[in-house]
Amino acid sequence: MEETTAVTMYSLENFIEILTLPDNIPIVILITMLVTYTGIAFYKAFDNDKRIAAGRPVWEGEPHNQEKVHTWPHLLNIEFIVAILVMAGLTLWSTFLNAPLEEPANNSVTPNPSKAPWYFLGLQEMLVYFDPWIAGVILPSIIIGGLVAIPYIDTNPKGNGYYTWKDRKFAISVFMFGWLLWIVLIIEGTFLRGPGWNFFMPGEYWDAHKVVPLVNVNFYELLNIDPTTPWLIRELPALALTGAYFSIIPFVVAKLNKKFYEDLGLIRYSVTIMLLLLLASLPIKMVLRLTLNLKYLIVTPWFNI
Amino acid sequence: MATEDNTPEIKFRRDVGVDKGEISRRKVLGFFGWGAFWATIAGTLAGTGRFMFPSVTYEKSPIFKAGFPKDYPPGVSTRFLGDQQTWIINDNGMIYALIAICTHLGCTPDWLSNENKFKCNCHGSGYYVSGVNYEGPAPRAMERAAISLADDGQILVDKSKKFAFEKGEWEKSDAFIKAT
Amino acid sequence: MGNKLQDFLETQVYPSQIWQSVFRHGRPVNDRNRSLAVLSNVFLHLHPIRLPRYATKYTYTWGMGGISFLLFLVETVTGILLMFYYHPTDTLAYADIKSLEFDVPFGMLLRNMHRWGAHMMVLAVWFHMYRVFLTGSYKKPREFNWGVGVILLTITLFMSFTGYLLPWDQLAMWAITVGTNMARATPFLGHEGPFAEYLGMKNNNDVRFALLGGTVVGGPTLIRFYVLHCIAVPFVMSFLLSVHFWRIRKDGGISGPQSARLANLNKVTQVKAAQGKKVEATTENKAEK
Repeated sequence: MEETTAVTMYSLENFIEILTLPDNIPIVILITMLVTYTGIAFYKAFDNDKRIAAGRPVWEGEPHNQEKVHTWPHLLNIEFIVAILVMAGLTLWSTFLNAPLEEPANNSVTPNPSKAPWYFLGLQEMLVYFDPWIAGVILPSIIIGGLVAIPYIDTNPKGNGYYTWKDRKFAISVFMFGWLLWIVLIIEGTFLRGPGWNFFMPGEYWDAHKVVPLVNVNFYELLNIDPTTPWLIRELPALALTGAYFSIIPFVVAKLNKKFYEDLGLIRYSVTIMLLLLLASLPIKMVLRLTLNLKYLIVTPWFNI
Repeated sequence: MATEDNTPEIKFRRDVGVDKGEISRRKVLGFFGWGAFWATIAGTLAGTGRFMFPSVTYEKSPIFKAGFPKDYPPGVSTRFLGDQQTWIINDNGMIYALIAICTHLGCTPDWLSNENKFKCNCHGSGYYVSGVNYEGPAPRAMERAAISLADDGQILVDKSKKFAFEKGEWEKSDAFIKAT
Repeated sequence: MGNKLQDFLETQVYPSQIWQSVFRHGRPVNDRNRSLAVLSNVFLHLHPIRLPRYATKYTYTWGMGGISFLLFLVETVTGILLMFYYHPTDTLAYADIKSLEFDVPFGMLLRNMHRWGAHMMVLAVWFHMYRVFLTGSYKKPREFNWGVGVILLTITLFMSFTGYLLPWDQLAMWAITVGTNMARATPFLGHEGPFAEYLGMKNNNDVRFALLGGTVVGGPTLIRFYVLHCIAVPFVMSFLLSVHFWRIRKDGGISGPQSARLANLNKVTQVKAAQGKKVEATTENKAEK
């Protein structure tokens, strides 16, 4: 066992050590870019909203900005400068920070923790809350499918080609929610998960021998149903709850927001509400797991959710 | 053939107010700016070129020990032919190392002891036991490697130092050792 | 110095047959010749000859699409250079990376550029998607191009995934083991996914087996990922990039507030509208069924 005197349990140094790992620098860049570009986008969106309210054309629609200019020099110049800045930045980064190279591959020893690169850490974090076939196959497929579907379910003709908030509140809110959720998962996977994929506070020392009692409960156990009852009866409450989630909520939303339903039509509405419910199911499951230690909602002989 | 520019004389903003021969601030900054750009490109290309020449290779060392002079009776020894492409030859009271590369196109000749000659299978070049060519398309004699006695008395061969017959280098002191 | 050189170039070089055969337009020093250059040069004709002023502003576009393409080219060049020193076998790969870092001039720099360039490209592609969403540039008539873009995003991540294995160190092997173990959990097609037994999926014939070329991450996996990373996926990516760029031009160039109006009009009225003439737009506010 290590001497705890040699290592502080919580310290800024521990945090900085994780933060400055070469493979984690992109996350710092990610957060910086996120704040910067979201700031720019919403600044322009609010400005355009003011213009629309005043009856003036949007910034992109101003005659001065609509005027055609020659690609050479006006576009090529800015492309050239951006290209130089990107190459300079990449070269400087590559000069001072070395790509990691650990010990040679050894299939009898697994490092702890075994983390995927940061852009996959969101996926790896999802594995805590769902089985591999959902977290690794179903959910990513739905994410990709949902993204491709966006242009076909978004029937709002406003906001085509210019920044706006007022004209596209719903679409932007939903997208930002999914976008930020993905980034939160990455940050969680990078900074809050340590050896054994245990939870570690930022600045906490990554003790490989930390023991955390985590007793998983399934939904039927929360309801005190005997585990030996036949699965169909045992899971009835869970199935009813899930069924209600996916059928009653859409019905209620359609009733409460008639315009929304009519604008989209049945097919588009169904697709949209399904995607929304699936999107929401991830934070819901996360909260249930983190608070109640809920592992499975539904347990069947073939699969568990 | 030449595409005519029917465009009128254009006055560029960068030349307005600047007489020919005068150097404007714009020109100076442009010179250094573009200079830095092309210098970077040139440097990148030079670096890429240099990248193609590894500083370290992991090929076999050309220096090897070949046993003791008393192990070599008069004649041609093929003991190190497979490993080092070298014949150790004891002839006329001298021991020398002949590099087994045909001077025509680089094949490995065979030693034919009953005919007392080296014969290359590729195009029929023939060499005396000394390594001098007399038959076939080979343009010159095979090369000898530097040979000396190491501290422990063993023969030390260094294939990175080569000696050519045509340049009279076979007379040099490190091209042969006295046989016992 | 400058004048003599200038005179020589203008009287002897530019009108010469060799020069005229290569550059078939005048020197790009005025708008006419620059337009001809953009039109006739194979690399520049990716761009339109003229474009609305707002499209040249960095705060509108963020340049992320262009940066993604630039990084794609950087990755290709650095990748090809790295290939000169790499054997995709489990016995040699790791030693090759070490050798590249210490025995080859600029080897460390090139490896780092390839690694960090890949991370930057993932970031650039994400933020490109983000910007396109916030400007609503996926709406009619650009729906298909958005879909192509999503597939390109997935492919970029897959390129990162396959490349990650190549150094053959602990990080590589275990990250890929974890990743491909998720493949075995695919419903129906993976031997540890739900309903695997209905298709007779075992560990030597399921989708993970196809990806790994075996039942564990080993030599066959390395060569398979190497081929995917260096040739197969870049080909697919180039193909999709061509489609992506083509569609940008054919859908009317960079998106703008005139997109919605233009998309709903026929060609004649489109031209009129672009010229600023007044046109009636009747279907503008109705959702297309």
